[in-house]
Amino acid sequence: MAATFFGEVVKAPCRAGTEDEEEEEEERRETPEDREVRRQLAGKREVRLLRRQTKTSLEVSLLEKYPCSKFIIAIGNNAVAFLSSFVMNSGVWEEVGCAKLWNEWCRTTDTTHLSPTEAFCVFYHLKSNPSVFLCQCSCYVAEDQQYQWLEKVFGSCPRKNMQVTILTCRHVTDYKTSESTSSLHSPFLKALKTQNFKEPPCCSLLEQPNIVHDLPAAVMSYCQVWKIPAVLYLCYTDVMKLDLITVEAFKPLLSSRSLKGLVKNIPQSTEILKKLMTTNEIQSNIYT
Amino acid sequence: MASRYDRAITVFSPDGHLFQVEYAQEAVKKGSTAVGIRGANIVVLGVEKKSVAKLQDERTVRKICALDDHVCMAFAGLTADARVVINRARVECQSHKLTVEDPVTVEYITRFIATLKQKYTQSNGRRPFGISALIVGFDDDGIPRLYQTDPSGTYHAWKANAIGRSAKTVREFLEKNYTEDAIANDNEAIKLAIRALLEVVQSGGKNIELAIIRRNQPLKMFSAKEIELQVTEIEKEKEEAEKKKSKKIA
Repeated sequence: MAATFFGEVVKAPCRAGTEDEEEEEEERRETPEDREVRRQLAGKREVRLLRRQTKTSLEVSLLEKYPCSKFIIAIGNNAVAFLSSFVMNSGVWEEVGCAKLWNEWCRTTDTTHLSPTEAFCVFYHLKSNPSVFLCQCSCYVAEDQQYQWLEKVFGSCPRKNMQVTILTCRHVTDYKTSESTSSLHSPFLKALKTQNFKEPPCCSLLEQPNIVHDLPAAVMSYCQVWKIPAVLYLCYTDVMKLDLITVEAFKPLLSSRSLKGLVKNIPQSTEILKKLMTTNEIQSNIYT
Repeated sequence: MASRYDRAITVFSPDGHLFQVEYAQEAVKKGSTAVGIRGANIVVLGVEKKSVAKLQDERTVRKICALDDHVCMAFAGLTADARVVINRARVECQSHKLTVEDPVTVEYITRFIATLKQKYTQSNGRRPFGISALIVGFDDDGIPRLYQTDPSGTYHAWKANAIGRSAKTVREFLEKNYTEDAIANDNEAIKLAIRALLEVVQSGGKNIELAIIRRNQPLKMFSAKEIELQVTEIEKEKEEAEKKKSKKIA
């Protein structure tokens, strides 16, 4: 115990242990209301993986149900736009399921009736080769939901003979370098790979002390632990909203083994990308 | 690429750039195209109409604005910045008229707008205006004028110029096609403006707006029908020119 300048008595931190341990234990005991609130919150934040047609939850993880040899994950709107224009338009992709989740970053408050356009974590497989999987994830997956997401998608015992490719973006202000920032030409690509990924990546590797965050980091950690060959392509950009130049920064990946064979008509894809950008722009009244 | 410190305020970078001003010029390129032509007896302003949302009132989305009875301007860039600049210019036009009992010259009001823009590149805590403007009109001496201003606060007189999204393409077209013959006739000057816009505008005449000022006459905005007529004439002339070409080759 200690007295402050204003005369109140406060508990001073003591490494020998506190005198009033019993008091503390009582405070730590949960009331039924606390438990109920915690249970409801956990329910709200649950990650649900739903089948496409029936909209029922999958009993097993996605990759246990649908074995996959190639898994490409796009996280963030620019990465999603890149895969939409270049990969999804070059073949027939069938939606397999979607992951519905809610957290504080979601703009909608009604968690029971999330519409398909808001879910934005959709899984597709290529009709001509169903072992090729694609995930378009535009929503933010919070830290406490990432483990659930991994469990529901990859499962607890994943197959090792698949290759995972992740595409995502990060703001260039997060990039730490000893070079002068005026020599940085953003957007630029950096790669991070797991030990079992033997191919050379399409760009230079991410240098220390830079780290990867959020869902891409969770997936990479998972792949490293389970010895799955995986590569992450991280685009550092100064425009976080949907931007043509940022999306085009992913173009070197079109020659990588992960995407080769999945991309057919590049000029047409470029046109589709431009259209995607202009539809976003027309709604804005900022410029005349 | 600029150092992070040069983005917040308008200060010089180590190599002498004002990055905020340069970025403001990029904002101008996000606006739709506007073209201005100075003829012998007419000044023409043509703009690419911005696509309007379904429920939006079209009349409230205007790129060509009158500053006074004898001066008008078209802009490209940030809509809100344009509104502020136009209001200040209009007030200045009336203030000038009341003070010296003469209407402003086109050069005077252009200089006023340019000075205003320059002030915002040198003030603390303010950002430059993100618009370029094409200012046209006739002075009392009856001479037609066309000026262009940009976010840095510079202004120059032009015979013909374009600003906005595809300004480079339109300017190249004008450099090839602006001849004394092309502007000798009022109608030819109008056609030149429309032809320049048709190079870059999608879906033709429907997306073009045109305004002209003739000597001693007020500003005239063309109706959609009048523009359609001009576009039809231009297309006819194009076809005839192509037929002649193919005959020559044959």
